[in-house]
Amino acid sequence: MTGDVRSKLLPRNVAALRRFQDPAAAPREVTGNPVMTRLESGIGNCFPGLECDLRNLERRFFPFLEIEIDFSVAQGVMQVGAVDLPGVEDAASKGDLSAADAASYRTIAQDLRNGANWVVGNIAGDFGPFKQQSFNPDALTGLSFGDQRLPPEPWAAVRTLVEGKPVTLALVRSPAPGTIMLAGPRARYLDDTGALARMFQPGELTQSLCSPWTHDFRDCACFYWASNHPDIALPPLPTPPPAVGDPRWDLATSWERADRSVASPPVARQTGSQAVAEIAHHAINRDWQLLNFVLERRERLSDYMFGEFNASPLPDRATLLAQLRYAAGVEIAAMQEYLTAAWSLRPAEGQPEPLLGDLKAAFHELLRIAIGEMRHVRVVNDVLSGLSTPGSFTPALAVAAEVPGTKVGTVRPVLLRAATQAAIDDFVGLEAPSQSVDGLYGRILATLQKTPGTEEQQQTVRTVMAEGEDHWETFLAIKEWLGRHREAHYLRDVNLQPPPQDNATHQELQRRYVGLLDRLYSGYQQGIPNGAPDINTARSSMLGAAGLQGALDAVAAGPFLVVFDPIADPRFAAIHRP
Amino acid sequence: MTTVIETQHLSPMTHRFRSGAGEHLLVVPFSRVFDLSADDAATLDADPDALGAVAASCAEAAPGEAALDQIVEPNPQSISLNVSSSCNLGCAYCYAARGSFGGTQSAPMTWPVARAAIDRLLAVAQSDRPITVGFLGGEPFANRNLIHESVGYASAEGHRLGLDVRFSVTTNGTLLRPADLDLMRSHPFAVTVSLDGAADVNDAQRPMRNGRPGAWERATRGVAGLLADPGQAKLAARATVTRQDMDVSARLEALIQLGFPEVGVAPLRTGPDATAELQEEDWAVYLQELIRASDVELLRLKRGLPARLTNFAVALKQLHRGACSPYPCGAGGGYFSVAAGGRWYACHRAVGDPAFEMGSSDGLDTDRRRRFLEARHVHAQTDCRTCWARYLCSGGCHQEAESRTAASCDFVRGWLEFCLAAYCELSGPLPGGDRR
Repeated sequence: MTGDVRSKLLPRNVAALRRFQDPAAAPREVTGNPVMTRLESGIGNCFPGLECDLRNLERRFFPFLEIEIDFSVAQGVMQVGAVDLPGVEDAASKGDLSAADAASYRTIAQDLRNGANWVVGNIAGDFGPFKQQSFNPDALTGLSFGDQRLPPEPWAAVRTLVEGKPVTLALVRSPAPGTIMLAGPRARYLDDTGALARMFQPGELTQSLCSPWTHDFRDCACFYWASNHPDIALPPLPTPPPAVGDPRWDLATSWERADRSVASPPVARQTGSQAVAEIAHHAINRDWQLLNFVLERRERLSDYMFGEFNASPLPDRATLLAQLRYAAGVEIAAMQEYLTAAWSLRPAEGQPEPLLGDLKAAFHELLRIAIGEMRHVRVVNDVLSGLSTPGSFTPALAVAAEVPGTKVGTVRPVLLRAATQAAIDDFVGLEAPSQSVDGLYGRILATLQKTPGTEEQQQTVRTVMAEGEDHWETFLAIKEWLGRHREAHYLRDVNLQPPPQDNATHQELQRRYVGLLDRLYSGYQQGIPNGAPDINTARSSMLGAAGLQGALDAVAAGPFLVVFDPIADPRFAAIHRP
Repeated sequence: MTTVIETQHLSPMTHRFRSGAGEHLLVVPFSRVFDLSADDAATLDADPDALGAVAASCAEAAPGEAALDQIVEPNPQSISLNVSSSCNLGCAYCYAARGSFGGTQSAPMTWPVARAAIDRLLAVAQSDRPITVGFLGGEPFANRNLIHESVGYASAEGHRLGLDVRFSVTTNGTLLRPADLDLMRSHPFAVTVSLDGAADVNDAQRPMRNGRPGAWERATRGVAGLLADPGQAKLAARATVTRQDMDVSARLEALIQLGFPEVGVAPLRTGPDATAELQEEDWAVYLQELIRASDVELLRLKRGLPARLTNFAVALKQLHRGACSPYPCGAGGGYFSVAAGGRWYACHRAVGDPAFEMGSSDGLDTDRRRRFLEARHVHAQTDCRTCWARYLCSGGCHQEAESRTAASCDFVRGWLEFCLAAYCELSGPLPGGDRR
């Protein structure tokens, strides 16, 4: 009975665990790899990976051969690097390998010792998703389309071979011509216990890993570095600083560029540059400390000083409230412009690459930004509500009659236009000064900092400003994606026009849009929590075929330009800059 | 939260308790904590012989565990230097009588005395473990030059000898200057700031000696720079709780507000001012208050936030490790306190007490030390032998042993009950499956 209970005691603390340790085992060093080094717990990839480099597995896909892929030639050349002769002899002696095959392996090994090359001239086997195939690796093009398609390149081919299925290689010798055919199953990389197969040498899986961390900066193109160690950054500013607005200093450049001079801007391109020479692999191990820290996207050479935000506060609370109402109106106007532009793009499906990818990306990013503006409308209303005396708050859902222009201090009328290059330029201009004192929110923030604002309100406005910065960057990307194509190719029509007023789809869109605003008005007016059902209803009514999305699709299918008519209801009518 | 199932042994070997995670068994020797199924718990509770057999098996020493009935005499690993014999505050409860220890320590420590003590410590301490030099008083920073000199010297010597030398100080914070803050930032310093709570509570208990107001104001101003930029220093506040105000939570929150990452509290058991000491009827209230404050910390831990109450955080760590000792502290074992005049005492609270005097920087009196350790072994304390908490509490502070009462011991057991249950709840329903 006692033994029964003791066997069911579950140790909870360290002292309890210690009691029932095997005394013989306690002081003994445990040999072997800890559990986190097992393949299934590792971060393995082939770029070359942080814990193991999977390329080292595939090298042994064929029995008794190590086949290296030379990535420097075309799509990659598959060449024999070594032969496992002891394995060959062992298999031959057991009768697992024919005498002829054993002789072929010996020939290849002998040739390698003599400096000859053996490359794969043809490979046949079950390539998983590519099915049964037989091809010359030289014929692979890097692309892979359609029925009966081939893998894009040799390494992808090797990776898809199905374990245990027969593989046939035609090996070709050079310089002296010669051919050998070998057949064998695609090797197993793990044994029955889940451990690495014996053919792998200790350390083999990790031998080509990144050299953390300095070497990685140079070799890795994963774009996953911390934001203070990015792949590209704005160049450091010299002393004395260049003229404000000098565009040469606002172009991102390679963070690891070899030219470390500061006085003149490095040769740079807007989206980061392959054109700038980078510090060599060996040099970065020695010179990593030359890499600058990056804060707010710019490399810093001296102590970072938090930027003085010196916009002038607005004179009084009434002006602040008026400016906030106008800001909400600008957000709505911008949202309308972006939705119109997004639905002017051709549907991506069915378009050829690379237009397909560019259209997809541009549409979704435009939509994301439009949704971002809708969120801003909400937060501006929250701030307004917080600043208003109890009972006096009315939601700000009027649409601005004019929005900030590309030049600081200027305005332009709201233009519901297709996503032409000129329109995208205007969008860039609208979002560009978001973070600056000249931006829409600069004086609002300065005012909140000075007196009436709570910390939360200030942070809310800061967030809106920061997101404006993100929108600006995204529009630069959209400009690049769409700029690669002619407008005639990416727009539904180069001469898209708004539908006639009596067009049914147009009227349905206006109806749904006003319904949406109604709900928002009611929700904002009641505030949270009472207004939550209305706000949620408004939000869900944006999506789906029965929502705003469906109405936009229907108008665009016309094909017409999606437009939002001016609304007579004073709650949603036009508002001018105060 | 817990249910106690009493065992009927002269020296209890086990303690049964229950938590939100289920039924548990504490095996008293070596502080082993086990989970039991409800059925097994019922079986054991009904069969003392079976429980005894389980206990006997579990209570055996595991490899690497030292027997609990032995007296070991380790080399000194840490010392405190009583660098100052005076203080600018006039706390009524001060055990050191502001550093004078009833007139036995009348002058501040001198550099030759400090240096001799440091040399001795570095010469005899185990070189593969951290070595600590602490600064006490009085207010240690009343003799700041000696602290700076000692830290510089001990660091350099430690570096030269390849030793890991660390520092600690308990200060009232009111005399700190920028150079002092820099010293603590630039060395591994455990800094304990004596503050008893919010300004009003603190200044009532810890007035300026000259009668002027503003002790709290000065202290908080003094430590603000270190709280903002602690460098290598690890800061904690320590509050003395008197019977006039046992609201632990309020003290904790007030001190956390100042920016301290951790706050420890200690009830006043003995001191020159008997009116502030906790009385028999106070202990139950104090326990309740301590648990009330710890419940908040428990909630924080369950949400992944660190515990801020040192008492609770340390108790959980100790229970996890299975802390178990026949002595409540290192006094006379690995720790000694050096009086201003150079004599070594077993404890900083006993400076000037002949019963605790253990030698000098020229060497320890081994006979005195052995007698001291024999007399204070928990097995030698008659009232501790029958207590299940004997290896966790170990009889409590030697200085306070005289004040031990049934009520104060009930407080210790109640607190450990709470911490045991909290530990089991925090470590999950059943950790890691079958880990035998």
